[in-house]
Amino acid sequence: MLLERVALSNFRNYAELDLELAPGLNVFVGANAQGKSNLLEAIAMLGTGKSFRTNHDADTIRTGFELAVVRGEATVRAGGVALACAIAKNGRGTRKTYTLNGRDVRYANFLGKLRVVTFVPSDLQLASGAPGVRRAFLNAALAQDEPRYYRELARYRKTVAQKNALLRGTVAPNPELLEVYDRTLVESGTQLMLARDRFVRALAEAARDAHARFTVGAETLEVAYDPDVAFEAPTSDAVAAAFDARLRDVVESERARKSSVAGPHRDNLRLTLDGTSLGAYGSQGQQRTAVLALKVAEYSVMRERAAEAPLLLLDDVLSELDGERAAAFLRSVGDYEQAFVTATHVPSDLRGDARLYRIDGASVRAQAVA
Amino acid sequence: MAGPVAALINEFSKLPTVGPKTAARLVFYLLNRPRHEAQSLAEAILRVKDRVRFCSVCHCLTESDPCDLCTDPDRDAATICVVAEAKDVYAIERTGAFKGRYHVLGGLISPMDGIGPAQLHVKELVERIGQQSPHELIIATNPNAEGEATALYLSRLLQPLGTKVTRLAYGLPIGGDLDYADEVTLAKALEGRTTL
Ligand SMILES: [Zn+2]
Repeated sequence: MLLERVALSNFRNYAELDLELAPGLNVFVGANAQGKSNLLEAIAMLGTGKSFRTNHDADTIRTGFELAVVRGEATVRAGGVALACAIAKNGRGTRKTYTLNGRDVRYANFLGKLRVVTFVPSDLQLASGAPGVRRAFLNAALAQDEPRYYRELARYRKTVAQKNALLRGTVAPNPELLEVYDRTLVESGTQLMLARDRFVRALAEAARDAHARFTVGAETLEVAYDPDVAFEAPTSDAVAAAFDARLRDVVESERARKSSVAGPHRDNLRLTLDGTSLGAYGSQGQQRTAVLALKVAEYSVMRERAAEAPLLLLDDVLSELDGERAAAFLRSVGDYEQAFVTATHVPSDLRGDARLYRIDGASVRAQAVA
Repeated sequence: MAGPVAALINEFSKLPTVGPKTAARLVFYLLNRPRHEAQSLAEAILRVKDRVRFCSVCHCLTESDPCDLCTDPDRDAATICVVAEAKDVYAIERTGAFKGRYHVLGGLISPMDGIGPAQLHVKELVERIGQQSPHELIIATNPNAEGEATALYLSRLLQPLGTKVTRLAYGLPIGGDLDYADEVTLAKALEGRTTL
């Protein structure tokens, strides 16, 4: 897929911007705080509808304004698409609206029309961070990939929240209602576990291969799905039965702890290097190489599943890495159709078809590679 | 700004979906209209508060108790449609496609908002079924998380009473384009397909 144009209106430090984008490698070069990452953030929002830098959407609206709009025109396998995401101040919060080819659509219908794989400096915590960091990684990839996944995830989370409120005693204890919530959790949780299992199997293979290329086979990276509820086989029946049995087991302890203690909201993704936990024992260099392999794998799995290449977005990652790793990463991703990279200086190892954009105080100037 | 104008803006902006800007627009609109229009608006509001009550049978809004829907002999008492709010009764009535009776729950189960079955007209529904033994109960709650949970809870609760419990089908919006329907709606519509 190709993003041909992006237009911003009162988004972050941009008043108005209308920019044509090229296939291949697009590099946004500029000093810090000039707007490189803001532009990349906007492009990512066209795919995910969310900022990769903040959960506080109001931050994306230009200071002193009420409404920020990001528009994009892209060509995907199914044809041309026009996407827009608007963030409006609304009382003390914000309201986001999405349009697809000029029609208002719900978030679920906007998400994943343009697929993006982003790689930002905070991703380097994928190896060392808490399980929640890795769950967020899985959720972000799967939600773009399967519309059903996003819906089940939303349903699952809402049900956990309702069940927790019931367990906390916001309304009179009601065992039948608790059973209703458990039944819904089993139904949607089973879908989440099966989707994660399938995705991680594909991811593990691609990550192992990429890692072997990076380390010339010196170490073996193993990526495994580590579900909170263990199941015997990745089938609906087996997973649902295991989850159901587990929920029955924990009824007493959930009542005592006033909280849902079992299910995919406590899943993990296990990363090991030659059988040793990467988070606990890996050096910083080993963790970085593993994360690079994981990101290359995410890209290749997403490409394979969609049967077309997603956009690759790299925010300041190349400068975080040493030159050798950065070049190896871009080589390893291989035949992306379109990538967007931010950097404070022009990377030395640019491909010949790269297009440079100088970004200075929210003005963007396209420049030929010298 | 003058006291009475500010006071009315303040009153309007307490209404749902009305912000201060809209409230001000409404007030200046009314200022430009003849007195009798303002009077009939004020009286209509008071009439609603003075005369409209909840029906003791179905909990819908009514001026007489039981309401016209509950006393209409042409309506089938053996079919009861369960809805969350009174406004849902008006929505279904506008279709003209339903000739049974209603039961308004007064909301949906949502412990996060402090609403459990005890806060809704659930006990009254069970009693009503016990007294009237209808053939069918149609649960017409919203297809969201709270609507689903409420429907599941009711069907579980009512199972021992032996009444047939059904749920509204999920489907595609009429007049819409298939390729604009979101994937989940389309999948649900496929699951709920019917024979021609
Ligand atoms: Zn009535």
